[in-house]
Amino acid sequence: MRVILKTKPRAKPRVPIEAETIIPQNFLRNDIRVYEGNKERRLEDLFYVTVEGPAVSPDQVEVILMGDTGIIKRVGEYMNAGRIVIEGDIGMHCGNFMSAGEIIIKGNADAWLGREMRGGTIRCEGNTGHYCAAGYRGEKRGMRGGTVEVLGNVGDYAAEYLCGGEVHIHGNCGDMPGVEMRDGTLIIGGNCSRPCGNMTGGTCKIFGIAGQFLPTFHRIGTEEAEYKGKRYPMDAFRGDIANRGKGTILVKR
Amino acid sequence: MTELLVKNAFVIDPLSGVKGEIMDLAVRDGKIVEEVGSGAVVIDAEGYLTLPGGIDSHSHVCGTKVNFGRYMSPEDMRAGRTVRKGVMHVTSGYSVPTTFGNSYRYSTMGYTTVLEGAMAPLEARHTHEEFTATPHQDMLANTLFDGNWSIMEAVKDKDVKRAAAVVAWTLSAVRGFSIKLTNPGGTEAWGWGEDVHSIDDPVPNFEVTPAEIIDTMIRANELLNLPHSVHLHCNNLGVPGNYRTTLETIERVPDLNPDRQSLYLTHVQFHAYGGSTWRDICSKSEDIARAVNQRPYIAIDMGQIMFGRTTTMTADGPMEFKLYMLHHNKWSNHDVELETASGIIPVYYSRKSLVNCVMWAIGLELALLIKDPWQCMLATDNPNGAPFVKYPEIIALLMSSRYREKEGGMIDPRTGHFAPLFAIDRELDWYDIAVMTRAGQAKALGITRMGKGYLAPGAEADIAIYPLKPDQMDPSTDYQQVAAGFSRTLYTIKRGRIVARDGEVIVEGANSTIWSGAQVPHEYDLNHDSEFVKKFEQYYTVRMRNYPVQDVYLPRGVCIGTQSSL
Repeated sequence: MRVILKTKPRAKPRVPIEAETIIPQNFLRNDIRVYEGNKERRLEDLFYVTVEGPAVSPDQVEVILMGDTGIIKRVGEYMNAGRIVIEGDIGMHCGNFMSAGEIIIKGNADAWLGREMRGGTIRCEGNTGHYCAAGYRGEKRGMRGGTVEVLGNVGDYAAEYLCGGEVHIHGNCGDMPGVEMRDGTLIIGGNCSRPCGNMTGGTCKIFGIAGQFLPTFHRIGTEEAEYKGKRYPMDAFRGDIANRGKGTILVKR
Repeated sequence: MTELLVKNAFVIDPLSGVKGEIMDLAVRDGKIVEEVGSGAVVIDAEGYLTLPGGIDSHSHVCGTKVNFGRYMSPEDMRAGRTVRKGVMHVTSGYSVPTTFGNSYRYSTMGYTTVLEGAMAPLEARHTHEEFTATPHQDMLANTLFDGNWSIMEAVKDKDVKRAAAVVAWTLSAVRGFSIKLTNPGGTEAWGWGEDVHSIDDPVPNFEVTPAEIIDTMIRANELLNLPHSVHLHCNNLGVPGNYRTTLETIERVPDLNPDRQSLYLTHVQFHAYGGSTWRDICSKSEDIARAVNQRPYIAIDMGQIMFGRTTTMTADGPMEFKLYMLHHNKWSNHDVELETASGIIPVYYSRKSLVNCVMWAIGLELALLIKDPWQCMLATDNPNGAPFVKYPEIIALLMSSRYREKEGGMIDPRTGHFAPLFAIDRELDWYDIAVMTRAGQAKALGITRMGKGYLAPGAEADIAIYPLKPDQMDPSTDYQQVAAGFSRTLYTIKRGRIVARDGEVIVEGANSTIWSGAQVPHEYDLNHDSEFVKKFEQYYTVRMRNYPVQDVYLPRGVCIGTQSSL
């Protein structure tokens, strides 16, 4: 089943839409409601909805979002199957807690993309905001599984509290990627600054320049790593010593 | 004049000697009466279990440390969210919910009176403000005296009357209800980064021992004729082998009061560990239960833990530091000048951890091994052992050995070697549960004279009707039904008004705060005592005249006045 949701023109286009109900498993039934600001709306009030074909399980559902989607928040929260394709940009908290399935974003994503996700795949073809694949306030464990791939650049605190799965950023990162990381893999294709403060485990590979590298990492030698079909010599570091950490950072020489 | 008639109720009212009878309850103006007119609102209870309103005799729901738990756990606020609806405020939180969250959840479980386990006197205003925002329960505040300098000086001088005078002044200044001792002496030692390790360990700079503090306070409490006894959190909480300290403490207690216990030991589960390290920790609940069974003048509460996430908060600062060294997570530490300390950390009790499983077993063993339910209250030391919303599950565990076996199958299989729980086949009945959740508490707290905890004419009309038919079910097999029934009342009636129905809160509520005011002779009134006044001027950051809580903080304060025997 393909569900195409195209945004309708709204009287107040800057009022955000809270759409945690837009997940494939919900489209097996009718009557999905979302919030526009603090007003509850039917899905049909905000979107032109086109449904093609049948589905008996959420795996067979593909949701396509089109139009002015950059202000829609929490799409794909708690998603556990199926596929969501976003033709444009997407708002904050896309793919929170998702456990399986696939989200593809053709434009940019706002902050908190794939926050605390447990599994599944997110691919963003543009840039993302801060806290990409991160944890949340007060919580000690962030993303626990699955993969997040960003073809563009990301903001600060990417993969904060990462404790499983893989985060791959092709472009540059902002400040403090992988801070408080506990496990999992973070791959940064571009540059970043102050990576992996307070990390206790996991691996971070940086194939650009790591600026303001923290002094609390201990150099343990050199290694080789493969990235996009080429092999690079890498400097290997262990830390964060300040936190008795046993994480590894590999930085391209 | 409002009148209410509850018909066909299956009443268990231990304090009035009613052990399960179908009867009608008439209510006029918030009191139970003999009969009401024909115009009364009628509730047909259809034979459902009807009990006096629940009383929690030890729970941390209001005050500065609870609020600090809220600050430091934004992740906790993500759970338990409910939207504004009718008269209900927005609520959120699981182990440290908002005050309205606490109030509504207690109310839907049929609880109408709650004792806040520890209020630092200096921070009483905040506690009273939160009491006002807990509108469905009458609140009482245990007041901390464990590291109080004036008390320790009186103890050093062996002057019980002086200690009583300090208690009387402080309780009425901060509108407290009773004396709480949390790790007596240890919280003062914590100001120097130390702790006391037995009841005979001297407190730095004061040359008194915890044993002397406990002895003096028990006697001072009786001199003032306070409604409740001393409420003691023993030394060495959570230390393997600490059951010896607990037994030594119990052995010292004299029998001083014919109406109630002389010492209330709280969350005894945390004080009943054998062994010497975390590796060989074992249950000593049998020893503790034997000691309690031999002494009818002791009352305890279980301090049951339940598996899952929660937040520990206590005035016992050094103990929280030890916990922090185990968990290496967030930690808050606090010292209240001249009075006490506190600490908070979030914890997760896991079924995979043998230590946690043994702790879980000990709480249940205490409730099952203590023969007289009047001596053992049901409590989790909310939220230290578990949030109070777990009470119904604990009730079901106590009423069904089959449920205990089933739970036992899911926890660490070695638990049985370290704790005798699975060899105990006692199952508590409805009467025992009614005692352990309301009547026992009312008696132990000494608030029966205010009409709490029973349903005879003259009592306050605090009534809980649960969707359970005791004559038609067997709790040992229908344990799930028991747990579900106790978690949501059909009706909760508070002072003659229906406050919650089928899990929905329907009125705004207006609670009272109950405090103790002991009348003392003029020579024991510390307002005129030059030494006491000087202590304030020298050491406190607050002036003595600014210290007492003004009446504006207690919109509906109720004083239990007593005549002291000083």
